[in-house]
Order: sequence, then C-alpha cells, then structure tokens
Amino acid sequence: MSEGTWRERLRVWVDGEREPRDRTLFVMESPQRTSSLPTPEEHEVRERHRLRKFLNWYPAAAVIICAALVAVLLAAVVRMPAFGEADNPINNEVSRHYLARTEEETGASNAVTGMILSYRGFDTLGESCVLFLAVASVTLLLRREDGEPEDAAQRRLRREDALQREHPDVILQQSARLLIPFILLFALYVLLNGESSPGGGFSGGTVLGGGLILYAAAFGFERLGRFFSRRAYSAVRTFGLLLYTFLYGCYIVTGANGLTSEALTRMGGLSLPIDLAVGLVVACTVYGFYALFARGEI
Amino acid sequence: MIALEYFLLAGLLVCAAAAPLFRRLLVTVIVYTAFSLLLAILWALLQSPDLAITEAAVGAGVSGILYFLTLRNIHAMKGTHDV
Amino acid sequence: MLETLLENRFSVTAVLLFGIGFLNLLLQQNLLKKVVGFNIMDSAVFLLLASLGYIEGGAAPVVAEGTSPSLYINPIPSGLVLTGIVVSVSITAFSLALIQRIYRRYGTIELDQLRERARKEDD
Repeated sequence: MSEGTWRERLRVWVDGEREPRDRTLFVMESPQRTSSLPTPEEHEVRERHRLRKFLNWYPAAAVIICAALVAVLLAAVVRMPAFGEADNPINNEVSRHYLARTEEETGASNAVTGMILSYRGFDTLGESCVLFLAVASVTLLLRREDGEPEDAAQRRLRREDALQREHPDVILQQSARLLIPFILLFALYVLLNGESSPGGGFSGGTVLGGGLILYAAAFGFERLGRFFSRRAYSAVRTFGLLLYTFLYGCYIVTGANGLTSEALTRMGGLSLPIDLAVGLVVACTVYGFYALFARGEI
Repeated sequence: MIALEYFLLAGLLVCAAAAPLFRRLLVTVIVYTAFSLLLAILWALLQSPDLAITEAAVGAGVSGILYFLTLRNIHAMKGTHDV
Repeated sequence: MLETLLENRFSVTAVLLFGIGFLNLLLQQNLLKKVVGFNIMDSAVFLLLASLGYIEGGAAPVVAEGTSPSLYINPIPSGLVLTGIVVSVSITAFSLALIQRIYRRYGTIELDQLRERARKEDD
C-alpha cells in the first residue's frame, strides 16, 4: 500500500484507486441449498403476483392518503388568523424594522431587495450555490449521446450550426430583431434599479437570460458565441459566485457590520456589486439550461 | 378587485386540475403555462411586483421553453409519444 | 363556514392545489405529468407563503422617504418566495434532464412500460 512518497499516496487517494482495507473477521460456511426454496420459475410467478397485488391497492391508498392530508390541512388553514389584517402575528417588529431602517442601513429603498441582499444575504448565497450545482448536474446528465466519441459530437454540432445558418426562420428572426434590444434594455434596467424600484437580481437575471435565449434561438449559437463564448460563460458564472462567497466570507470573520469604510459608503454599500453578481449568475444559469437542452453542451 | 381575485383563483384550480388530464403532452405544457400566467397576475394583485416579474419570466419563459425542448428530445411533439 | 372559507380564499386554494399536485405526483403514469404535478405543488406552497404577508390597504414595499412602516405590506414572505421560485426552476430543469436520460436509455417514459423493459433487461 505504501507507495513511497506522500505525493504518490495522495494521488492514489484522490483518484480513488486505493483498495478498501480488508476487515473480515472470519469466513462463514455458506449453508447448503435445501430443496424447500422455490425454483426460479415459481419465484418469478410469485414476484409478479406480489407486484400485481401491490399495484391494486396502491392507487386507492394514494387517494386516501391525499384526501386525508388535504382534509387535515384545510382544517388547519381555516383556523389561521384572518387574511390581510394588520395585527396578524406575522407582522411583528422584524418587518417594521426592515421597512423603517432599510434605507439607511442597506442603501436600498426596495425593502425586499435590501432584505435578500443584506439582512438575509446568506440565504441568497445558498441559493446561488444551488443554481451553480443545478447547472453542473444538468451538464453531467446531458453531455453527449451514449457511445458517441468526441469528434463525432463536434461534427454533429457543426452540422447543426450550418443547418441553422442555411435555413433561418424568417418570422423568428425579424421579430427577434425587433424585440431583443428592448428585452436586454429592460433587463439591464431592472438589474441596476433593483434598489429603488421593484426588481433586483433575480428578476433582472431571468429577463436577461430570456433575452439571451431568444437571441440563441433566432440567430444560432455560433453568432452568440462571438460575444459570449463558453470561456466567458464559465468566467462570469464562477466569478459571480466567488465574489459573493468572498464578500460574505468576510462578514463571517469581521461580524455583521464589519465591512465599513469610506469607499464603501460612498459607493452606496455592497448591495450593487452583489446585485450584479446574483443577476449574472441567474442569467447564466437560465441560458445554460437552454443551451444544454438544445445542444448537449454550452 | 375581489371579483378578479375569485376569478383568478378559480382559473388556477381549473388549470391545475385539467393540465395532467390530456393525452397529448403538448397541451399539458400549454395549460401549465397558462397556470403560470394566472399566478403571475395574482402576485401583482398581492402587491409583490418582484414576484410578478420573476414568475412571468420564469414560469412562462424559461420553464415553458425547457418543457418544449424536452418534448422535442423525447419525440412527443405531435400527439402522444409513439412507443 | 362558507364565509370562513371565502375569507381565507388564498390559503384554501393553496391547499387544494397542493392536494391536486400531490395526487398527480403519486398516480400519473407518465413521468412528464409527474413533473408538472410537482411544479403545481411548488406553486401552491409559494401562494400560501406570499399570501400571509398581505396587509389590507398596503402598498408594495418600496419605501419612500420618511414614511411610516404601517403603509406597506410585510416584505419578508415575499423575499422567501423569490428564492423559492428560482430554486423551483432549477429542480424542474434537473428533473427534465433526468427524463431525457431515461428516454435515451429505455425508449419510453411511461412507468408500466419502463418496468417491463427494465425487468426484461434484468433477465
């Protein structure tokens, strides 16, 4: 097992080639096959019979359980406090604090944006990680056809691109030419104005991703790749998540109000860069889903 | 306003109950997109404009497109899938 | 009884939608319709959460200068649902990718035909 240097051992451990340590204490004698076990055909028939009996009562049990669940939830829900009253227990001092002090403490007048980027910023950090993981797992699932080697995949993608170039969809292209500038402009407006008007990182990011999807669908992935190549995509996504993690990692070390300095207060707090980072991550995620579903790679 | 809320909530229930009952998967996805549109209008009525923008972009835009691409990849665009 | 139901109309609708979505998730034979049922369940939970924050006569929580907080709705449930919607679309995309892989492998997405083909491959 010991291959000599620690480097070699580390490489073996990282690559997963190390054999698990043998921990058997003793080896038992396997019992003799008695003739009371069913033969394979009888076993098969018994399995099918059991499956059919299960399938007979599974729908009935599902309906009964669902009806019971809905009845219990309805009985709970009609006893809840009345809808829309101002003195519900949910409207306590936390929401009053957020509404009263969000302008001066976070620099955002939109209470929802100030809340998700500053007061509850770690929730948004976890959600950005979930988006990152989702794109990574969909990439793993949809990489290429089973048994298709690398060059065949490249040739197939080039053939699809050429087909897209030769036979463009005229209606889609003309309406996309009309719509895409407005969509991108609106997306940038919603992203950058998330603090003083409804919007923010998530909304602007999804609209931006929608604009990119429309461009890729109308004009082809090749033309999109001219200004948004795969390397730029990876860089934007990774950089956004790393920036967010780094800034919030600083908060863990210095405490909740630790990052105050002259430059930051003149910039209006940390909300705007974080907003941009979240918006870009969401846009890249949404566009990445479309590209993976349509092509098999980004 | 209350009449509009009742109408939208009833529409939500009708869309959700009807969506999985169709034989053709294309119709299921379209009815689900209509469900998402009604939900986006409800968010706007509940005075949450962030949710309205996000639901309109995500539900009809992104989620609908992903469903249609899946339908194309499993060859179920015309009628039920033929296996 | 009826006016209690009508007064809490959002929560009652959310519970009914949850039941419809759950029933579809359990009983449908087509995998794509199961995913649609799952999405309906998600939307029902978001409707329940966001309707808790509404205050009668309140405005959207974009705070103008120096106004009192009693004029606006509660912003907290709205922020929770915003994260939830984006996570819901990620889960949907992942489930649809799984469905595409299953189709590539077995050629069908109906559950009973999947069971038959999987058992035939085991034999």
